[in-house]
Amino acid sequence: MELTILHLYPDVMSLYGEHANVAVLRRHLEALGVTVTVRKLMADDAPDFSGAGFIYMGAGTERTQKFVLERLAGQGPALRAAAEAGAVVLFTGSAMEALGASVTDAAGTVHPALGLADFATVETDRRAPGDVIAHTDLTDSPVVGFMNKCSLTHGVSAPLFSRLSLGFGSDAELGPEGWHDGNIFATHITGPLLVKNPDLLDALIRLLAKNQGWDLPEQLPVLPHERDAYAVTLRELQSRVK
Amino acid sequence: MGKLRFYLALLAGKLSRPVLKITKHKGTSFPGELALRICPAFLQYVHMPEQIIAVTGSNGKTSTVEMIAAILTAAGRQVIYNKEGSNQTEGVATLLLANCTLTGRLHGDVLLLESDERYTKYTFKWFRPTHYVITNLYRDQLTRNGHQEWVYDAIRPSISPETTLVLNADDPLVASFAQGRDPAKVKWFGLEENPSSTKEHRGMYDDGQRCPICRGKLTYSCYHYAHIGHYKCAACGYSRPTPDFAGTALDLQKGVLTVNGRTDIHLAFRSIYNIYNILAAWSVCSLAGIPADVMADTVDNYILKNGRTIRFGLGAHRGTLLISKHENSVAYDTNLDYIRSLTEPCEVMVIVDAVSRRYFTGETSWLWDIDFDRLDTPHVRRIWLCGKYVNDLAMRFDYTGVDPEKIVLQESISAACAQLKAEGDLPLYVMTCFSDRDKLLSLVQLEQGGN
Repeated sequence: MELTILHLYPDVMSLYGEHANVAVLRRHLEALGVTVTVRKLMADDAPDFSGAGFIYMGAGTERTQKFVLERLAGQGPALRAAAEAGAVVLFTGSAMEALGASVTDAAGTVHPALGLADFATVETDRRAPGDVIAHTDLTDSPVVGFMNKCSLTHGVSAPLFSRLSLGFGSDAELGPEGWHDGNIFATHITGPLLVKNPDLLDALIRLLAKNQGWDLPEQLPVLPHERDAYAVTLRELQSRVK
Repeated sequence: MGKLRFYLALLAGKLSRPVLKITKHKGTSFPGELALRICPAFLQYVHMPEQIIAVTGSNGKTSTVEMIAAILTAAGRQVIYNKEGSNQTEGVATLLLANCTLTGRLHGDVLLLESDERYTKYTFKWFRPTHYVITNLYRDQLTRNGHQEWVYDAIRPSISPETTLVLNADDPLVASFAQGRDPAKVKWFGLEENPSSTKEHRGMYDDGQRCPICRGKLTYSCYHYAHIGHYKCAACGYSRPTPDFAGTALDLQKGVLTVNGRTDIHLAFRSIYNIYNILAAWSVCSLAGIPADVMADTVDNYILKNGRTIRFGLGAHRGTLLISKHENSVAYDTNLDYIRSLTEPCEVMVIVDAVSRRYFTGETSWLWDIDFDRLDTPHVRRIWLCGKYVNDLAMRFDYTGVDPEKIVLQESISAACAQLKAEGDLPLYVMTCFSDRDKLLSLVQLEQGGN
């Protein structure tokens, strides 16, 4: 069992410790006996998704995100093809916006995005930071996290999270959030999403196994502290729900 | 009409102060809030002294302001400054109210302001600093402030063409404030390469990889810490300006900083932060016409009174609290460097209980931005992880090279302290934030005269 994780632009798209997502996924896969290679695609490298079984990109600033949109111009079909060939794609934080049709900045300039989905993002001049409890059919337990965005994303046809019980969705308080299409997962939740949510991590590992043809044990590895950390965060966030 | 409102605001604001004193609401920004409500242009009408010095940036504001105040006072200037860090617009108005006559004239020679980077544009809409120090910009409380480019954009409108900017030449983002300005209105401070500099970047992330002007790749000839160092963009030529005020030599082992090749300054605290605070204070005071010997006498062996380092006893342990702001990985990394630089065996405690004292959040991504591997050193014998987020801390340490045998998990801060009190006598270094500081300090024996 082998897997290559492709981490897109960690030099400019890692505002919130996102390398932790790659590290925790790697450790869990290695606990299952998978040989993992991590390939980092840096800002000066030509985009190349070949050979990747998992493709990840984290959050950037408004400016680095536009820079990355330029670097990725015309790569939408290649990314779509990689996902259709079985690569699991996860974009978190402002990277999510890159998957849609466009991002309009606060000055009104429209920046074309990868175009894998029809949704469009409009930036505002206000940041809306906040904790999140999000619900999805992919996991029995809710997903916890944090968002720090200054944008609204309209027109998501298939949200990753059907509703939030805490936090701001794609374009409404407590509204649907993120985007999910087959092997592609996107959410504006920032930072160590997979570290904070062991059930979501397991769901992605099961999907990876299905796509790669691996046989997995009934019980996936449980690494120390992860479940306890999740329980504390969920308890704390739930205490904020009015 | 404007003036009339101003005098009314002045009177109301001033009268509210003794009332607040009686009702024990002293120390709030209420007088300023009241005055601004009556007269929104209040700040514009106060008759300011000739020199107005402002300091903003991610880290070092309070310390730099304190040092500038000490130098100016030593030089015989009467300084009005916001000691308590009430650095938002209402706080500034409150400060002015407390220090002006009934005709609105400030008593002092210099107004010195620590200014919250998010509010400068509101404060400096009404009056302009003559000198504006910007210390550095990096990831600091992203929950509240947003990222460093967001902060850059927030500060930018607060800068007027008449103001002399005093900028950290070693921070590429800060240095870019000079773009498009009259070069005569920009002065630079910076640190030259020295034995503490490194050729490679250190840390979990590097925000100095791309040019803030053209997004080309920045190359560094040396790093001082994080993305602070000597940089150049191969694509557009943007590079570190030559400092007007330079730390020309630094011996952190001996604790001596040389300024402009002439003056040796002995360091009471040997952190890289302290170096930059001194350089910033030196620059702006020099521009304000203070003689070098007065500056040197004041900053030599200067001990900050900011409560960021607190000594205490816990059983047979001699403890040192190193305030390390949560959600600020550079602050943690700097203290980790300090602990790593020691040679005697010691124990370390990290407490993350409440992420912030001002707001609630369960946001812990910043733990992954801290380079805890710096504790992977033989003289650190044991590491206590404490507080509500002990599991998040434990997971973070699982991804370092630190020997798991050295790690003790104890959610309860009081249980950890009780255990330490009962056993061992190694020096103890505690890293935590203002939000969790008192949870520790209420359990230990504070040293007399310490601060």
